[in-house]
Amino acid sequence: MIKESFFILKKDYKSELRNRYSFNSLLLFVIITITILLFSLGLEDISLDIHAGLFWIIVFFAATNGLSRTFVSEEERGTTLVLKLISESGTIFLGKLLFNLCLMVLLSLFVFILYLFFMNGFLIKNYFLFFVTIIFGSIGLSSASTIIAAIISKASNKGTLYPILSFPILLPLLIILIGLTKSSMIGKSIINELNQFLLIISYSGILITVSFLLFDFIWKD
Amino acid sequence: MKLKYFIGILFVLVILLSFIPKISGNLTDVKFYSTIDTTKIIPVKGVISEISNNLYKFIDKDGNEGRLYASNITNKEGIFYLKYNEYENYFTLKKFENNTFFITFPFIPGLEEKARIILFHVPVAWVSVLAFLISMFYGIRYLKSENYEFDVKSVNSASLGFLFCILATVTGSIWARFNWGSFWNWDPRETSIFILLLIYAAYFALRSAIEVEEKKAKLSAVYSIIAFVTVPFFIFILPRITSGLHPGSADDLSSPGGGPVIKSGMSFEMRIIFFLSLIAFTLLYFWIFTLKNRVTELERKKI
Repeated sequence: MIKESFFILKKDYKSELRNRYSFNSLLLFVIITITILLFSLGLEDISLDIHAGLFWIIVFFAATNGLSRTFVSEEERGTTLVLKLISESGTIFLGKLLFNLCLMVLLSLFVFILYLFFMNGFLIKNYFLFFVTIIFGSIGLSSASTIIAAIISKASNKGTLYPILSFPILLPLLIILIGLTKSSMIGKSIINELNQFLLIISYSGILITVSFLLFDFIWKD
Repeated sequence: MKLKYFIGILFVLVILLSFIPKISGNLTDVKFYSTIDTTKIIPVKGVISEISNNLYKFIDKDGNEGRLYASNITNKEGIFYLKYNEYENYFTLKKFENNTFFITFPFIPGLEEKARIILFHVPVAWVSVLAFLISMFYGIRYLKSENYEFDVKSVNSASLGFLFCILATVTGSIWARFNWGSFWNWDPRETSIFILLLIYAAYFALRSAIEVEEKKAKLSAVYSIIAFVTVPFFIFILPRITSGLHPGSADDLSSPGGGPVIKSGMSFEMRIIFFLSLIAFTLLYFWIFTLKNRVTELERKKI
């Protein structure tokens, strides 16, 4: 099953390479947002709290654009039936989850590089904690996003519905992630933050389990 | 029919009991100079009489006389629990009991009359979580059986939960204006109830976005399950591990370790009224829930 889900991941990767829709639009979205931020901030010195907040706001809204497309694109291309034929729903869910996870990690790394490049006040003292935060954040964000992307692919107004459904479920994660980013900028050690990581693991663990069980009902419609 | 009257009687009882008089007036900043010398907390039965403005004469049952600074003491008789402060040589009032009523409301420094909110605010919040739980329960039953009735019940319960959630937010917010200074403070529990409201608002947005009846029922059942599995994090975990203004937070001294305040910090009388109120609100919820289900059933038959 896990092996098969890697095939789904590979298939998504190949179709992504073919038209490069979501990745290119994500990169452009990030660049545009950072440009707007740079113009609106000017030479203002902003505090660490605002830096950590802005970083995750960019990641969240870029993810909204990219991750919401995972199942909608299948519906638009008319490939849903083929997918239903070739494998079980659990496998498809895992494959899509893995693809979203990769997309999220790449996206947040890209945002991080651009942010480091353009924002003068954005200095990280504990890089290890920061990268662990990024990886756990990607797991958390993609866990809830995948099932919600599946739900909205069956609804009528897909574009507006995705942020409405996903934001409240992701908000506690974002609050924790902003706190973790802040402490990596201050230079706290990872041992002090273990509780927060446990929270992220349990939260995304529950969400992944529940959505793995429920995906069947949405998919076989 | 009988349930209705029972709930009515229970509510009248809760409202009457929640207005029981407090055992003393405003006993803030009490200083008591006395000939009694002890370092323990001592219960003293005695009579208080006012000498002049805010200065009271105190005579205990052994005839010891002392003076007590306090503002606005309404009840002049009762048992005073005094704590002696060695360094500054005065007595502070820990607790004040009065036996004029068979059931009395405790004196809680810092909260006083405002402590009564726990009798309404907490049961309302409890009912909203219960309603969301029942909404999830019927969501699961719908997914299993695809019976239309379960979907109706799931929606009705979620909408009732939303209503009670708004009630909890509004009552808490009005109370916060008078006790914490502003209507909204972004305390962890306030944040989590705000997210809860957002989640269930999104649930109704999702329902209105789907046209086909069956699809609507199925997708909203899935979303209600996903929504409810996050609820324990908002209600039980996040507010307990972070420091905040609500009782039961991580930095709450009355319940170290951040447990529920009912277990450690509530007096017996308060607990009785609180649980009566909890039962009353829960029964009220079930009554409205069955009524709502009957209304939707009849409406469907008319069509």
